[in-house]
Amino acid sequence: MSEQGGEVLRIEGLRKAFGATEVLKGIDLSVAKGEAVVLLGASGSGKSTLLRCVNFLEIPSAGRVVIDGTAVGRERDGAVLYREAELIPIRAHVGMVFQHFNLFPHMTARENVMEGPRTVLRLPRAECRERAGRYLAKVGLADKMDAYPSHLSGGQQQRVAIARALAMEPRLMLFDEATSALDPELVGEVLQTMKDLSDEGMTMLIVTHELGFAYAVADKVLFLHDGRIHEEGPPDELLVRPREARTREFLRGHASFRLPEAEF
Amino acid sequence: MGYEWDFGIVLRNADLLLLGLANTLKVTGLALAFGLPLGLALALGRLSPRRWLRAPVGLVVEFFRSTPPIVQLFWFFFALPLLTGIEIDPFRASVLTFSIQSSAFFAEVFRGGIVSIERGQWEAAKAIGMARGQALRRVVLPQAVKRMIPAFLERVIELMKTTTLVATVSYADLLYQANNIAQRTYRPLEVFTVAAVLYFVVLFPLSLSVRGLERRLARSGETTAH
Repeated sequence: MSEQGGEVLRIEGLRKAFGATEVLKGIDLSVAKGEAVVLLGASGSGKSTLLRCVNFLEIPSAGRVVIDGTAVGRERDGAVLYREAELIPIRAHVGMVFQHFNLFPHMTARENVMEGPRTVLRLPRAECRERAGRYLAKVGLADKMDAYPSHLSGGQQQRVAIARALAMEPRLMLFDEATSALDPELVGEVLQTMKDLSDEGMTMLIVTHELGFAYAVADKVLFLHDGRIHEEGPPDELLVRPREARTREFLRGHASFRLPEAEF
Repeated sequence: MGYEWDFGIVLRNADLLLLGLANTLKVTGLALAFGLPLGLALALGRLSPRRWLRAPVGLVVEFFRSTPPIVQLFWFFFALPLLTGIEIDPFRASVLTFSIQSSAFFAEVFRGGIVSIERGQWEAAKAIGMARGQALRRVVLPQAVKRMIPAFLERVIELMKTTTLVATVSYADLLYQANNIAQRTYRPLEVFTVAAVLYFVVLFPLSLSVRGLERRLARSGETTAH
């Protein structure tokens, strides 16, 4: 497990409602530098929404998101106001990997990875190329630089997407069910890439259904139920001896998870 | 009944017909040059998250889509000078009318193309820190434009055919010239046949390229925005 440092992310009393439906009902959590935190929960428990509130793809209805010690948004009359101009640099420092990769199909792998450094950070072209090469090599795709996404397997596409996020040299990486859309035989290569990242000290907040991965990689596991954190703890407690009935029920639903044979 | 075809009359007036064709292409080209950027601006206005912008732009687009172009042309040619006191010649009135008229249709083509791009593309662009304008320019439009090309060419064909209306305000386009020659020579059959062939010669290759492009896009697994 990774060495720990200061706090990269703190969430306080986070709520998110879509119309009359409250999806998040008050979330508190904290992620320290170098930590890998895994969010578990049934579909509809709000874990993806929580992740999307961290980089403000969704605007929280209430509560605060504190990144690197700085609370995002301005508080006025009890409400928090967010300006798009303030959110843009935050997104640039928080990487996100999506379930469906969302690579830019009109760009090669290298161009996908270059795009952020070039357009957002406005780095010189040569530096962007070098960076793209470095991060594509890091995810094991040095030989696929000039391939378009449509010519890559799902696992390769997701690794390009990881490289695209890494090229922004983020403080925090968010993984939103990064392996859920992959064929089973391609899941391993993506999980391995994520594990390597964690081993190198990347701070990560991960939504996944891969319990074996959570067991091997997570410093902390949170179980979300009905918009709240229902139970949290280190993986060898929460996954092995869950205290709450709901957590036990959820884990039983993942019959394929057998601790001793976990891949990592 | 034996009709004696005499294309010699058309040949003797070929210079007038070709001048007419040149004028038709001029109005079409200028309407395109102004209509495309204006159409993009209207589309972006209609897609704006700001209601005060979205609503009036939507009204303008729908107005020009839902009124006959000939009424618009007469309005710009006969009514606008009364309002402003500025005399407007047939050429300017024609370019003005068809720039605005076609921009309303191009706006819908642009809008269709932009909304056909999956939300995930916007989100991925946003997630690496792009502003909305950057995401539009770098990620969404390059993909959307490719899907829009067939619909665009379709509109260009429509536009050139609709410009025949400029003959009604005495702008010397292809139809106007053909009509003049026909009346002078009493040979409408030959003159209008040749005029039709001239339109066909310009527009049919465009029409073919639309179908070719659609086939190519379909092969590469992409959809077109219609």
